[in-house]
Amino acid sequence: MLRIEDLTVAYGARRVLHAVSLEVEAGQVVALIGPNGSGKSTLVRAVSGVLPVLGGRVRTNGDDLLSLPPVQRARHLAVVPQAVSLPPAFSVWETVLMGRTPYLNFLGQVSLRDEEIARQALQKVEALELADRRVGELSGGEQQRVLLARALAQSTPILLLDEPTSNLDMHYQISFMETVRALAHQEHLAVLIALHDLNLAARYADRVALLQEGELKACGTPRQVLTAELISSAYHLPVQVVPHPFADTPLVLPEDRSV
Amino acid sequence: MIRKLILTIVSLAFLLAGCAPARTATPAPTQPLPTPSQPLPTPVPTATPISLTDGLKRAVSLPAPAQRIVSLAPSNTEILFAIGGGSQVVGRDSFSDYPAEAKSVADIGGSTGNYNTEAIVALHPDLILAGEINPPELVASLQQLGLTVYFLPNPSGLDGLYANLRTVGLLTGHSAQAAALVSSLQARVAAVDAKVAAAASHPSVYYELDATDPTKPYTAGPGTFVDLLIARAGGTNFGAQLKEQWAQISLEQLVVGNPSIVILGDSAYGVTPASFASRPALDQLAAVKANQVYPFDDNLVSRPGPRLVDGLEALAKLIHPELFK
Amino acid sequence: MSHRFLPYLWTSLFLLVAIVLSVAIGSVFIPLLSQLRLLADWLMRRPLPDSLQTFASIISAIRLPRTALVLLTGAALGGSGAADQGLFRNPLADPYLIGVASGAGLGAVLAMSLNWPYSFWGLMAVPLAAFCAALATVFVVYSLARLGKTVPTTNLILAGVAFGSFASALTSYLMLRSTGDLHRAIAWMLGGASQAGWSPVLAVLPFLAIGLGILVLSGHSLNLMQYGDDQAQQLGLHVTRARTVILVAASLTTAAAVSFSGIIGFIGLIVPHVMRLWFGADYRRLLPLSILSGAGALLLADVLARTLLAPQELPVGIITALAGAPFFLWVLRRTKNQGYW
Repeated sequence: MLRIEDLTVAYGARRVLHAVSLEVEAGQVVALIGPNGSGKSTLVRAVSGVLPVLGGRVRTNGDDLLSLPPVQRARHLAVVPQAVSLPPAFSVWETVLMGRTPYLNFLGQVSLRDEEIARQALQKVEALELADRRVGELSGGEQQRVLLARALAQSTPILLLDEPTSNLDMHYQISFMETVRALAHQEHLAVLIALHDLNLAARYADRVALLQEGELKACGTPRQVLTAELISSAYHLPVQVVPHPFADTPLVLPEDRSV
Repeated sequence: MIRKLILTIVSLAFLLAGCAPARTATPAPTQPLPTPSQPLPTPVPTATPISLTDGLKRAVSLPAPAQRIVSLAPSNTEILFAIGGGSQVVGRDSFSDYPAEAKSVADIGGSTGNYNTEAIVALHPDLILAGEINPPELVASLQQLGLTVYFLPNPSGLDGLYANLRTVGLLTGHSAQAAALVSSLQARVAAVDAKVAAAASHPSVYYELDATDPTKPYTAGPGTFVDLLIARAGGTNFGAQLKEQWAQISLEQLVVGNPSIVILGDSAYGVTPASFASRPALDQLAAVKANQVYPFDDNLVSRPGPRLVDGLEALAKLIHPELFK
Repeated sequence: MSHRFLPYLWTSLFLLVAIVLSVAIGSVFIPLLSQLRLLADWLMRRPLPDSLQTFASIISAIRLPRTALVLLTGAALGGSGAADQGLFRNPLADPYLIGVASGAGLGAVLAMSLNWPYSFWGLMAVPLAAFCAALATVFVVYSLARLGKTVPTTNLILAGVAFGSFASALTSYLMLRSTGDLHRAIAWMLGGASQAGWSPVLAVLPFLAIGLGILVLSGHSLNLMQYGDDQAQQLGLHVTRARTVILVAASLTTAAAVSFSGIIGFIGLIVPHVMRLWFGADYRRLLPLSILSGAGALLLADVLARTLLAPQELPVGIITALAGAPFFLWVLRRTKNQGYW
């Protein structure tokens, strides 16, 4: 379970997150949406501990995550970043094994159990057959799955994903989101996923949090947050929200600006 | 790939091993190296032990005058040959080119700043004569190899030169010849002094050391041999007013200073009176207009050996031709 | 499982061959038979025959210490080159990237411009000055590059290049002003074993043991750093601490290497790349392999420096530049490895 309390982050004098509070239960997928610059990536980075915070706390079952040393924190929280500029020379197997770092000694020596966990992680994302390939040879979708496997190998109860589907084509977007949702539910992971695509958020998230200019404007079920009012105001674009033809979720349709 | 790696390494090894025999500093690799018990070419001097303190304040002692000497500086080579010890020199540095006989002595390196210690050791020297152009690390390395090194410091004046000649004479068993050489040098210097005393004026002399950048040439400053010798030869060194020994001046200073005589110590690098005169604004110099720009062998005034007196005489003839008919 | 040890086997073999060549070859030709005889006598503790005394002293007093010093220097350059390439995630990185070479050169030239007494410490003045100046440079560059609690690599490179240029300019000016020492300064800059005997080896050994030891153990951290600061930290690495430790170790190693051997280029740049091309980018392996082959490569270069133009000895830095670049290009062209970096 992940509890973000009054998190405030500033870049120099400019505040980019204002007292954001958010809770993600175990087994729940919370989608973080908002226009570019609203602070989605900043929130993910701050929660994962790589950005200094001005105020607030990030808790999980009693532990204050931000005050922990990186190696401890990495046992609670794993991050799946966007698959860009990955070191191309490492193999998929080596990459996923790096997810075991929080449990290895500083030499990085791997036990049989670590290898078994890595193997299982690759299986869960259906990428086991890629194990010996070099990361540089893979497609964007495959690389993204490898990063998800790496995060799973970290064996953490909390998973943060930073716009993992932005560079993927439709097929991979859907398969990735299905995998994430299945894993969250089966393994009781608390998943916070920053998403670009509102309709993906609508279909695969249990709850949706809307960020606008560093503030949490709304948080609730997809139907509660994905309303024409909220979305139009946040994205500065008139939208219509209609019921999805074959799923029980809202469908956001941007209108022409000329209309 | 692995097979090719083996092949490469092994052939490289054979190649390098095969290269070695062709490159040796010893005169004849197939002959056994001469041992000290073999008869020596020079007359055997008396076996009196010699104890001295050298220029680095090190105590140096020899059981007898040295018979197998390696010279690490061209000035030392010149001194050795001048006092009659030429046949005792078994190795010399790359720059030693005078006298002509020195060139046939084994070369032990030095042109790139690195001296071939293996070759030096293989020559079995009983004395190594180092100079100020050798770094102290070299002296230490040779000393650590168990060799006897004597460091001959640069003399500050002609008296220092005579002292060095006597020292080398003592070290090599040629004290008598060294003394004779010193006397003849002193006589020649006295002759120059006598003639110069009659000089009516002391013209200003510009001695050029380096003109790689013709607009910012280097001249000899105060305290250098050149400065000393020009004064002794009855001139005034243009560079005496400057602060450093290797002093850089600008063309403007040269034009304003307007020396009467220009001596091109960088003739060896291709500078000629014509090329000097062709530099901007220098055609107005008094020296150029009076055709008193002369090429010069810098080795005569830069190497602290007996040829300094040759240099003095040459300078005097250029500065006061009227006194040296 | 055994194929994991092959790279170590090959590089160790390479190093061994290089050591043998370095001891066996020099400007004085010592026949192979004599060398084997000397080895046999030494192993069996027999007294050496008189006729071989000269050879024995050449080998034991000149070649062995020199081989040891060159070996250590090559190991240092290979190791710190690999570490710097990993630290800065830059294929152009070499041990001198953050200005260490320029700082060391400035220290050395400053020391050479003064007259030291002829004593043990007087002779240590130049290497000591070079060593201290190298470390001081890293400290200054690190302080300039630091932003609060983090030390971004870009800042390190920029500060290093800027400070390095500054130091180089000062050094050039000092060299212009010196007279007789110019040759000595240039010879030092071009690289080569300037002092004979075992004292340089003993002086350098503790720093190299510590520095290289730390670097060899830092392979996993370097692997993680290839993913960028964010990901490395998210995976559990304390990035700033790891970076500082590796930087200090690499700088200590480089400073010790240049203090007696001057600035020898190309080994630190090219050896890690060749190792990467042949044996992969895992830093846990890359570091020890670069250390071993750096030692071997510099030994070979030194043998060439001593023999190509005998009795002249070329500065070894010239050989590494002349031979290193074409060799690397040849290896690069022959590799079918896409994305080896």
